[in-house]
Amino acid sequence: MRRLLTAAALLLPLAFAGGGARAAGDTPAGGASAGEGSPGDAVSRGAYIFNAAGCLGCHTNQKDGGEKGGGQPLAGGRALATPFGTFYTPNITPDPVNGIGRWSDADFIRALREGVRPDGANLFPAFPYASYTRMTDRDLLDLKAYLLSRPAVAAPNRPHDLTPPFSWRFLVPAWQWLYLTPGPVPDDQAKPASWNRGRYLVDALGHCAECHSPRSLLGGIDPDRYLAGNPDGPDGDKVPGITSAEPKGIGGWSDGDLTLFLEAGLTPDGDVAGGAMGEVVRNTTSKLTAEDRAAIAAYLKTVPAKQ
Amino acid sequence: MSNRVVNVLAAASVAGLMFTLFGMSAGAAGAADPAEQVKDRQQTMKKLGGGMGAVAKFVKNEGATAEDAAKGAEAVLAVSKMDPKKIFPEGTAVGVADSAAKPELWKSWTETQKYWSAVQPAAEKLDAALKGGDRAQIAQALGATSKTCGTCHEDFRVKKN
Repeated sequence: MRRLLTAAALLLPLAFAGGGARAAGDTPAGGASAGEGSPGDAVSRGAYIFNAAGCLGCHTNQKDGGEKGGGQPLAGGRALATPFGTFYTPNITPDPVNGIGRWSDADFIRALREGVRPDGANLFPAFPYASYTRMTDRDLLDLKAYLLSRPAVAAPNRPHDLTPPFSWRFLVPAWQWLYLTPGPVPDDQAKPASWNRGRYLVDALGHCAECHSPRSLLGGIDPDRYLAGNPDGPDGDKVPGITSAEPKGIGGWSDGDLTLFLEAGLTPDGDVAGGAMGEVVRNTTSKLTAEDRAAIAAYLKTVPAKQ
Repeated sequence: MSNRVVNVLAAASVAGLMFTLFGMSAGAAGAADPAEQVKDRQQTMKKLGGGMGAVAKFVKNEGATAEDAAKGAEAVLAVSKMDPKKIFPEGTAVGVADSAAKPELWKSWTETQKYWSAVQPAAEKLDAALKGGDRAQIAQALGATSKTCGTCHEDFRVKKN
Protein backbone atom coordinates (compact mmCIF):
# COMPACT_ATOMS: atom_id res chain seq x y z
CA MET A 1 0.00 0.00 0.00
CA ARG A 2 2.88 2.33 0.86
CA ARG A 3 4.27 1.76 -2.60
CA LEU A 4 0.95 2.67 -4.10
CA LEU A 5 0.89 5.83 -2.07
CA THR A 6 4.39 6.75 -3.14
CA ALA A 7 3.42 6.16 -6.73
CA ALA A 8 0.38 8.30 -6.22
CA ALA A 9 2.47 11.04 -4.65
CA LEU A 10 4.87 11.00 -7.60
CA LEU A 11 1.94 11.53 -9.88
CA LEU A 12 0.92 14.65 -8.00
CA PRO A 13 1.91 17.17 -10.68
CA LEU A 14 -0.20 15.24 -13.12
CA ALA A 15 -3.04 15.40 -10.66
CA PHE A 16 -3.15 19.15 -10.86
CA ALA A 17 -2.91 19.16 -14.62
CA GLY A 18 -5.55 16.48 -15.03
CA GLY A 19 -7.88 18.00 -12.48
CA GLY A 20 -7.60 21.41 -14.07
CA ALA A 21 -8.37 20.09 -17.50
CA ARG A 22 -11.42 18.26 -16.33
CA ALA A 23 -12.67 21.11 -14.19
CA ALA A 24 -12.48 23.34 -17.26
CA GLY A 25 -14.82 20.96 -19.02
CA ASP A 26 -17.56 21.53 -16.43
CA THR A 27 -20.95 21.74 -17.97
CA PRO A 28 -24.12 22.54 -16.14
CA ALA A 29 -26.17 19.47 -16.92
CA GLY A 30 -27.27 16.45 -15.07
CA GLY A 31 -30.54 15.00 -13.90
CA ALA A 32 -30.34 18.38 -12.57
CA SER A 33 -33.29 19.58 -14.50
CA ALA A 34 -35.49 18.66 -11.56
CA GLY A 35 -36.56 21.60 -9.51
CA GLU A 36 -36.18 24.03 -12.36
CA GLY A 37 -39.11 26.31 -12.74
CA SER A 38 -40.47 25.20 -9.39
CA PRO A 39 -41.80 27.90 -7.12
CA GLY A 40 -40.07 29.02 -3.97
CA ASP A 41 -36.82 30.75 -3.25
CA ALA A 42 -33.30 29.44 -2.97
CA VAL A 43 -33.61 28.73 0.76
CA SER A 44 -36.65 26.49 0.45
CA ARG A 45 -35.23 24.71 -2.58
CA GLY A 46 -32.01 24.39 -0.63
CA ALA A 47 -33.86 22.80 2.28
CA TYR A 48 -34.95 20.00 -0.02
CA ILE A 49 -31.43 19.58 -1.43
CA PHE A 50 -30.11 19.57 2.14
CA ASN A 51 -32.36 16.63 3.03
CA ALA A 52 -31.70 14.79 -0.20
CA ALA A 53 -27.94 15.20 0.28
CA GLY A 54 -28.14 13.99 3.88
CA CYS A 55 -25.98 16.74 5.39
CA LEU A 56 -27.57 16.81 8.83
CA GLY A 57 -26.62 13.37 10.10
CA CYS A 58 -22.86 13.55 9.70
CA HIS A 59 -22.53 17.23 10.53
CA THR A 60 -24.39 16.95 13.83
CA ASN A 61 -23.05 15.21 16.89
CA GLN A 62 -26.46 13.97 17.86
CA LYS A 63 -25.52 10.40 18.59
CA ASP A 64 -22.03 9.65 19.72
CA GLY A 65 -21.50 5.91 19.52
CA GLY A 66 -25.00 5.08 20.63
CA GLU A 67 -24.97 7.77 23.32
CA LYS A 68 -26.61 11.10 22.80
CA GLY A 69 -23.90 13.47 21.69
CA GLY A 70 -25.92 16.56 22.53
CA GLY A 71 -24.42 18.59 19.68
CA GLN A 72 -26.15 21.54 18.05
CA PRO A 73 -27.48 20.95 14.52
CA LEU A 74 -24.75 21.28 11.88
CA ALA A 75 -22.11 22.28 14.45
CA GLY A 76 -20.13 19.13 13.55
CA GLY A 77 -18.09 17.01 15.93
CA ARG A 78 -19.64 13.68 15.08
CA ALA A 79 -17.10 10.88 15.11
CA LEU A 80 -16.96 8.81 11.93
CA ALA A 81 -15.04 5.62 12.59
CA THR A 82 -13.46 4.33 9.39
CA PRO A 83 -10.68 1.87 8.54
CA PHE A 84 -8.45 4.94 8.07
CA GLY A 85 -9.05 6.40 11.51
CA THR A 86 -11.70 8.56 13.11
CA PHE A 87 -12.90 11.68 11.39
CA TYR A 88 -14.64 14.43 13.32
CA THR A 89 -17.02 16.28 11.08
CA PRO A 90 -16.66 20.06 10.86
CA ASN A 91 -19.03 22.86 11.76
CA ILE A 92 -21.05 23.96 8.71
CA THR A 93 -23.22 26.55 10.42
CA PRO A 94 -22.89 30.20 9.29
CA ASP A 95 -20.49 30.94 12.16
CA PRO A 96 -17.77 33.12 10.55
CA VAL A 97 -14.90 31.63 12.56
CA ASN A 98 -15.73 27.93 12.95
CA GLY A 99 -18.30 27.48 10.23
CA ILE A 100 -18.81 28.55 6.63
CA GLY A 101 -20.13 32.07 7.24
CA ARG A 102 -17.34 33.71 5.28
CA TRP A 103 -17.38 31.34 2.34
CA SER A 104 -18.14 32.87 -1.05
CA ASP A 105 -20.29 31.08 -3.60
CA ALA A 106 -17.12 30.11 -5.46
CA ASP A 107 -15.58 28.78 -2.23
CA PHE A 108 -18.61 26.63 -1.59
CA ILE A 109 -18.72 25.24 -5.11
CA ARG A 110 -14.99 24.51 -5.05
CA ALA A 111 -15.26 22.66 -1.73
CA LEU A 112 -18.12 20.43 -2.82
CA ARG A 113 -16.97 19.93 -6.38
CA GLU A 114 -13.19 19.75 -6.06
CA GLY A 115 -12.68 18.96 -2.38
CA VAL A 116 -10.65 22.11 -1.71
CA ARG A 117 -11.19 24.39 1.26
CA PRO A 118 -11.17 28.20 0.86
CA ASP A 119 -7.67 28.29 2.44
CA GLY A 120 -6.46 25.92 -0.28
CA ALA A 121 -6.23 22.80 1.91
CA ASN A 122 -7.57 19.60 0.43
CA LEU A 123 -10.55 18.03 2.13
CA PHE A 124 -10.40 14.41 3.19
CA PRO A 125 -12.77 12.31 1.10
CA ALA A 126 -14.71 11.19 4.17
CA PHE A 127 -16.62 14.25 3.03
CA PRO A 128 -18.29 12.67 0.01
CA TYR A 129 -17.37 15.32 -2.54
CA ALA A 130 -16.63 12.59 -5.10
CA SER A 131 -20.45 12.30 -5.12
CA TYR A 132 -21.42 15.93 -4.49
CA THR A 133 -19.17 16.95 -7.37
CA ARG A 134 -22.02 15.84 -9.63
CA MET A 135 -24.41 18.39 -8.14
CA THR A 136 -25.43 21.23 -10.40
CA ASP A 137 -24.32 24.78 -9.69
CA ARG A 138 -27.86 25.70 -8.95
CA ASP A 139 -28.38 22.94 -6.39
CA LEU A 140 -25.06 23.79 -4.76
CA LEU A 141 -25.95 27.46 -4.42
CA ASP A 142 -29.46 26.68 -3.18
CA LEU A 143 -27.89 24.40 -0.59
CA LYS A 144 -25.52 27.14 0.47
CA ALA A 145 -28.40 29.59 0.78
CA TYR A 146 -30.20 27.15 3.05
CA LEU A 147 -27.14 26.44 5.20
CA LEU A 148 -26.54 30.15 5.68
CA SER A 149 -30.14 30.55 6.83
CA ARG A 150 -29.50 28.18 9.77
CA PRO A 151 -28.49 29.39 13.24
CA ALA A 152 -24.74 29.98 13.68
CA VAL A 153 -23.05 27.91 16.37
CA ALA A 154 -19.62 28.95 17.65
CA ALA A 155 -18.43 25.38 18.20
CA PRO A 156 -14.75 24.85 17.31
CA ASN A 157 -13.74 21.98 15.07
CA ARG A 158 -12.06 18.93 16.51
CA PRO A 159 -8.98 17.58 14.71
CA HIS A 160 -9.28 14.19 13.04
CA ASP A 161 -7.64 11.19 14.61
CA LEU A 162 -6.22 9.33 11.62
CA THR A 163 -3.64 6.65 11.07
CA PRO A 164 -0.65 7.69 8.92
CA PRO A 165 -0.37 7.83 5.95
CA PHE A 166 -4.07 8.63 5.78
CA SER A 167 -3.54 11.62 8.05
CA TRP A 168 -1.22 13.24 5.50
CA ARG A 169 -3.35 15.90 3.93
CA PHE A 170 -0.73 16.58 1.25
CA LEU A 171 -1.54 13.18 -0.24
CA VAL A 172 -5.19 14.03 -0.75
CA PRO A 173 -4.63 15.59 -4.21
CA ALA A 174 -3.28 12.22 -5.30
CA TRP A 175 -6.44 10.59 -4.07
CA GLN A 176 -8.46 13.17 -5.91
CA TRP A 177 -6.52 12.52 -9.07
CA LEU A 178 -7.26 8.83 -8.76
CA TYR A 179 -10.87 8.95 -7.67
CA LEU A 180 -12.45 12.33 -8.32
CA THR A 181 -14.02 13.19 -11.64
CA PRO A 182 -15.19 16.75 -11.09
CA GLY A 183 -18.42 18.13 -12.40
CA PRO A 184 -22.00 17.11 -13.11
CA VAL A 185 -22.72 14.14 -15.34
CA PRO A 186 -24.92 14.99 -18.33
CA ASP A 187 -28.30 13.29 -18.56
CA ASP A 188 -28.50 10.13 -20.61
CA GLN A 189 -30.93 11.24 -23.29
CA ALA A 190 -31.75 7.64 -24.16
CA LYS A 191 -33.21 7.11 -20.70
CA PRO A 192 -36.47 8.43 -19.24
CA ALA A 193 -36.40 11.58 -17.13
CA SER A 194 -37.27 9.62 -13.98
CA TRP A 195 -34.23 7.39 -14.49
CA ASN A 196 -31.97 10.41 -14.86
CA ARG A 197 -33.51 12.01 -11.81
CA GLY A 198 -33.05 8.74 -9.91
CA ARG A 199 -29.41 8.54 -10.89
CA TYR A 200 -28.88 12.13 -9.78
CA LEU A 201 -30.54 11.42 -6.44
CA VAL A 202 -28.55 8.22 -5.91
CA ASP A 203 -25.14 9.35 -7.20
CA ALA A 204 -24.95 13.09 -6.66
CA LEU A 205 -27.19 13.95 -3.71
CA GLY A 206 -27.84 10.71 -1.83
CA HIS A 207 -24.18 9.61 -2.20
CA CYS A 208 -25.44 6.03 -1.76
CA ALA A 209 -22.33 4.50 -3.31
CA GLU A 210 -20.16 5.96 -0.54
CA CYS A 211 -21.45 3.34 1.91
CA HIS A 212 -22.94 0.74 -0.43
CA SER A 213 -19.75 0.10 -2.43
CA PRO A 214 -16.50 -1.43 -1.23
CA ARG A 215 -13.39 0.74 -1.08
CA SER A 216 -9.85 0.09 -2.23
CA LEU A 217 -6.91 0.22 0.19
CA LEU A 218 -6.59 3.88 -0.66
CA GLY A 219 -10.21 4.55 0.18
CA GLY A 220 -11.50 4.94 -3.34
CA ILE A 221 -14.75 3.42 -4.49
CA ASP A 222 -14.22 0.39 -6.68
CA PRO A 223 -16.16 1.24 -9.86
CA ASP A 224 -16.53 -2.43 -10.74
CA ARG A 225 -18.32 -3.01 -7.46
CA TYR A 226 -20.57 0.03 -7.66
CA LEU A 227 -23.42 -0.41 -5.13
CA ALA A 228 -22.46 -4.07 -4.68
CA GLY A 229 -22.25 -3.75 -0.89
CA ASN A 230 -19.42 -3.05 1.51
CA PRO A 231 -18.16 -5.65 3.98
CA ASP A 232 -16.40 -2.93 5.98
CA GLY A 233 -18.69 0.06 6.07
CA PRO A 234 -18.94 2.98 8.48
CA ASP A 235 -18.63 1.97 12.13
CA GLY A 236 -17.50 -1.48 10.98
CA ASP A 237 -20.97 -2.38 9.79
CA LYS A 238 -21.60 -4.58 6.80
CA VAL A 239 -23.54 -2.67 4.19
CA PRO A 240 -25.74 -4.69 1.83
CA GLY A 241 -25.56 -4.52 -1.93
CA ILE A 242 -28.31 -2.59 -3.69
CA THR A 243 -27.73 -3.54 -7.31
CA SER A 244 -30.40 -5.45 -9.21
CA ALA A 245 -28.79 -8.70 -8.01
CA GLU A 246 -30.87 -11.33 -6.31
CA PRO A 247 -30.65 -12.21 -3.47
CA LYS A 248 -27.62 -10.01 -2.70
CA GLY A 249 -29.31 -6.88 -3.90
CA ILE A 250 -32.75 -5.49 -4.54
CA GLY A 251 -33.46 -7.58 -7.62
CA GLY A 252 -36.29 -9.36 -5.84
CA TRP A 253 -37.88 -6.16 -4.55
CA SER A 254 -40.93 -4.71 -6.25
CA ASP A 255 -41.19 -0.98 -6.94
CA GLY A 256 -43.57 -0.81 -3.99
CA ASP A 257 -41.07 -2.60 -1.76
CA LEU A 258 -38.41 -0.07 -2.64
CA THR A 259 -40.52 3.04 -2.27
CA LEU A 260 -42.07 1.87 1.00
CA PHE A 261 -38.60 1.10 2.33
CA LEU A 262 -37.35 4.54 1.35
CA GLU A 263 -40.42 6.15 2.87
CA ALA A 264 -40.73 4.19 6.10
CA GLY A 265 -37.71 1.92 6.41
CA LEU A 266 -39.95 -1.13 6.18
CA THR A 267 -38.45 -4.12 4.36
CA PRO A 268 -40.51 -6.68 2.42
CA ASP A 269 -40.31 -9.12 5.35
CA GLY A 270 -41.70 -6.56 7.79
CA ASP A 271 -38.41 -5.61 9.41
CA VAL A 272 -37.56 -1.95 9.92
CA ALA A 273 -34.14 -0.54 9.06
CA GLY A 274 -31.95 0.55 11.94
CA GLY A 275 -28.37 1.76 12.21
CA ALA A 276 -27.01 4.09 9.58
CA MET A 277 -29.77 3.30 7.07
CA GLY A 278 -32.42 4.03 9.69
CA GLU A 279 -30.86 7.44 9.98
CA VAL A 280 -30.82 7.87 6.21
CA VAL A 281 -34.52 7.00 6.04
CA ARG A 282 -35.31 9.40 8.88
CA ASN A 283 -33.23 12.33 7.60
CA THR A 284 -33.34 11.85 3.86
CA THR A 285 -35.47 9.38 1.96
CA SER A 286 -38.64 9.83 4.06
CA LYS A 287 -38.42 13.55 3.33
CA LEU A 288 -38.29 13.22 -0.44
CA THR A 289 -41.32 13.52 -2.67
CA ALA A 290 -43.03 10.27 -3.69
CA GLU A 291 -41.90 11.02 -7.28
CA ASP A 292 -38.29 11.20 -6.18
CA ARG A 293 -38.55 7.93 -4.27
CA ALA A 294 -40.05 6.30 -7.35
CA ALA A 295 -37.18 7.73 -9.43
CA ILE A 296 -34.61 6.20 -7.07
CA ALA A 297 -36.37 2.84 -7.37
CA ALA A 298 -36.52 3.13 -11.16
CA TYR A 299 -32.80 3.84 -11.32
CA LEU A 300 -31.67 1.19 -8.81
CA LYS A 301 -33.55 -1.51 -10.66
CA THR A 302 -31.37 -0.85 -13.70
CA VAL A 303 -28.02 -1.00 -11.88
CA PRO A 304 -26.19 -4.07 -13.28
CA ALA A 305 -26.37 -7.00 -10.88
CA LYS A 306 -23.27 -7.70 -8.82
CA GLN A 307 -23.37 -10.56 -6.36
CA MET B 1 -44.85 -39.70 69.41
CA SER B 2 -46.84 -36.94 70.95
CA ASN B 3 -49.24 -34.89 68.94
CA ARG B 4 -47.06 -31.90 69.42
CA VAL B 5 -44.06 -33.56 67.94
CA VAL B 6 -46.09 -34.75 64.95
CA ASN B 7 -47.42 -31.24 64.44
CA VAL B 8 -43.99 -29.71 64.61
CA LEU B 9 -42.61 -32.31 62.21
CA ALA B 10 -45.51 -31.81 59.84
CA ALA B 11 -45.14 -28.06 59.94
CA ALA B 12 -41.45 -28.37 59.37
CA SER B 13 -41.86 -30.69 56.45
CA VAL B 14 -44.51 -28.50 54.87
CA ALA B 15 -42.27 -25.50 55.32
CA GLY B 16 -39.40 -27.47 53.89
CA LEU B 17 -41.45 -28.59 50.96
CA MET B 18 -42.65 -25.08 50.30
CA PHE B 19 -39.13 -23.75 50.58
CA THR B 20 -37.92 -26.33 48.16
CA LEU B 21 -40.74 -25.63 45.72
CA PHE B 22 -40.42 -21.84 45.83
CA GLY B 23 -36.69 -22.02 45.98
CA MET B 24 -36.68 -24.18 42.90
CA SER B 25 -39.10 -22.10 40.94
CA ALA B 26 -37.28 -18.89 41.91
CA GLY B 27 -34.08 -20.59 40.91
CA ALA B 28 -35.57 -21.68 37.62
CA ALA B 29 -36.71 -18.13 36.82
CA GLY B 30 -33.37 -16.66 37.86
CA ALA B 31 -31.49 -19.17 35.78
CA ALA B 32 -33.73 -18.81 32.72
CA ASP B 33 -31.55 -19.62 29.77
CA PRO B 34 -30.50 -16.30 28.20
CA ALA B 35 -30.10 -17.99 24.83
CA GLU B 36 -33.71 -19.12 25.14
CA GLN B 37 -34.76 -15.58 26.02
CA VAL B 38 -33.01 -14.26 22.93
CA LYS B 39 -34.86 -16.83 20.86
CA ASP B 40 -38.15 -15.77 22.48
CA ARG B 41 -37.41 -12.17 21.60
CA GLN B 42 -36.68 -13.12 18.02
CA GLN B 43 -40.01 -14.92 17.86
CA THR B 44 -41.77 -11.85 19.22
CA MET B 45 -40.02 -9.61 16.70
CA LYS B 46 -40.89 -12.04 13.95
CA LYS B 47 -44.54 -11.81 14.95
CA LEU B 48 -44.26 -8.03 14.89
CA GLY B 49 -42.53 -8.08 11.53
CA GLY B 50 -45.01 -10.56 10.11
CA GLY B 51 -47.82 -8.24 11.11
CA MET B 52 -46.12 -5.22 9.60
CA GLY B 53 -45.34 -7.18 6.47
CA ALA B 54 -48.96 -8.23 6.03
CA VAL B 55 -50.18 -4.65 6.27
CA ALA B 56 -47.41 -3.55 3.91
CA LYS B 57 -48.43 -6.18 1.34
CA PHE B 58 -51.98 -4.87 1.51
CA VAL B 59 -50.86 -1.25 1.16
CA LYS B 60 -48.67 -2.16 -1.81
CA ASN B 61 -51.52 -4.14 -3.30
CA GLU B 62 -49.36 -7.22 -3.48
CA GLY B 63 -51.66 -10.06 -2.63
CA ALA B 64 -52.69 -9.53 1.00
CA THR B 65 -56.41 -9.17 1.64
CA ALA B 66 -57.92 -6.62 3.99
CA GLU B 67 -58.48 -9.47 6.38
CA ASP B 68 -54.80 -10.49 6.31
CA ALA B 69 -53.86 -6.90 6.96
CA ALA B 70 -56.32 -6.57 9.84
CA LYS B 71 -54.87 -9.70 11.42
CA GLY B 72 -51.40 -8.25 10.92
CA ALA B 73 -52.34 -5.04 12.66
CA GLU B 74 -53.78 -7.03 15.55
CA ALA B 75 -50.52 -8.93 15.91
CA VAL B 76 -48.58 -5.66 15.93
CA LEU B 77 -50.93 -4.24 18.55
CA ALA B 78 -50.65 -7.36 20.71
CA VAL B 79 -46.86 -7.23 20.74
CA SER B 80 -46.87 -3.50 21.43
CA LYS B 81 -48.78 -4.18 24.63
CA MET B 82 -46.10 -6.51 25.98
CA ASP B 83 -43.85 -5.47 28.84
CA PRO B 84 -40.47 -4.43 27.41
CA LYS B 85 -38.79 -5.95 30.48
CA LYS B 86 -40.08 -9.35 29.40
CA ILE B 87 -38.90 -8.90 25.84
CA PHE B 88 -35.53 -7.46 26.84
CA PRO B 89 -34.53 -9.22 30.06
CA GLU B 90 -31.15 -8.22 31.48
CA GLY B 91 -28.28 -10.34 30.29
CA THR B 92 -29.45 -10.81 26.72
CA ALA B 93 -27.25 -8.29 24.96
CA VAL B 94 -25.17 -8.98 21.88
CA GLY B 95 -22.84 -11.90 22.53
CA VAL B 96 -25.62 -14.08 23.93
CA ALA B 97 -26.65 -16.52 21.22
CA ASP B 98 -27.22 -14.35 18.13
CA SER B 99 -28.64 -11.42 20.05
CA ALA B 100 -28.55 -8.13 18.17
CA ALA B 101 -29.35 -5.88 21.13
CA LYS B 102 -26.67 -3.36 22.02
CA PRO B 103 -25.76 -3.07 25.73
CA GLU B 104 -26.83 0.59 25.46
CA LEU B 105 -30.42 -0.63 25.34
CA TRP B 106 -30.18 -1.41 29.06
CA LYS B 107 -27.83 1.45 29.89
CA SER B 108 -30.40 3.89 28.51
CA TRP B 109 -33.41 2.02 29.82
CA THR B 110 -35.52 5.16 30.27
CA GLU B 111 -35.00 5.88 26.59
CA THR B 112 -35.78 2.28 25.69
CA GLN B 113 -39.06 2.40 27.60
CA LYS B 114 -39.95 5.67 25.91
CA TYR B 115 -39.26 4.17 22.48
CA TRP B 116 -41.21 1.04 23.29
CA SER B 117 -44.23 2.87 24.65
CA ALA B 118 -44.43 4.89 21.42
CA VAL B 119 -45.28 1.73 19.49
CA GLN B 120 -48.67 1.08 21.07
CA PRO B 121 -50.45 4.35 20.20
CA ALA B 122 -49.11 4.02 16.64
CA ALA B 123 -50.31 0.42 16.46
CA GLU B 124 -53.72 1.47 17.75
CA LYS B 125 -53.98 4.03 14.96
CA LEU B 126 -52.92 1.40 12.46
CA ASP B 127 -55.54 -0.98 13.76
CA ALA B 128 -58.19 1.75 13.63
CA ALA B 129 -57.13 2.73 10.11
CA LEU B 130 -57.56 -0.85 8.95
CA LYS B 131 -61.00 -0.99 10.47
CA GLY B 132 -61.78 2.28 8.71
CA GLY B 133 -60.59 0.83 5.41
CA ASP B 134 -59.07 3.99 3.92
CA ARG B 135 -55.96 2.85 2.10
CA ALA B 136 -54.17 6.19 2.23
CA GLN B 137 -54.75 6.40 5.95
CA ILE B 138 -53.54 2.83 6.42
CA ALA B 139 -50.37 3.61 4.49
CA GLN B 140 -49.81 6.68 6.60
CA ALA B 141 -50.37 4.78 9.85
CA LEU B 142 -48.09 1.98 8.66
CA GLY B 143 -45.32 4.48 8.04
CA ALA B 144 -45.83 6.03 11.46
CA THR B 145 -45.72 2.65 13.19
CA SER B 146 -42.65 1.69 11.23
CA LYS B 147 -40.98 4.87 12.45
CA THR B 148 -41.50 3.85 16.07
CA CYS B 149 -39.74 0.55 15.36
CA GLY B 150 -36.95 2.38 13.55
CA THR B 151 -35.99 4.69 16.41
CA CYS B 152 -35.14 1.72 18.60
CA HIS B 153 -33.45 -0.23 15.82
CA GLU B 154 -31.38 2.79 14.95
CA ASP B 155 -30.04 3.28 18.46
CA PHE B 156 -30.00 -0.16 19.97
CA ARG B 157 -29.71 -2.84 17.32
CA VAL B 158 -26.40 -3.99 15.93
CA LYS B 159 -26.14 -4.49 12.24
CA LYS B 160 -27.30 -7.93 11.16
CA ASN B 161 -25.46 -10.39 8.87
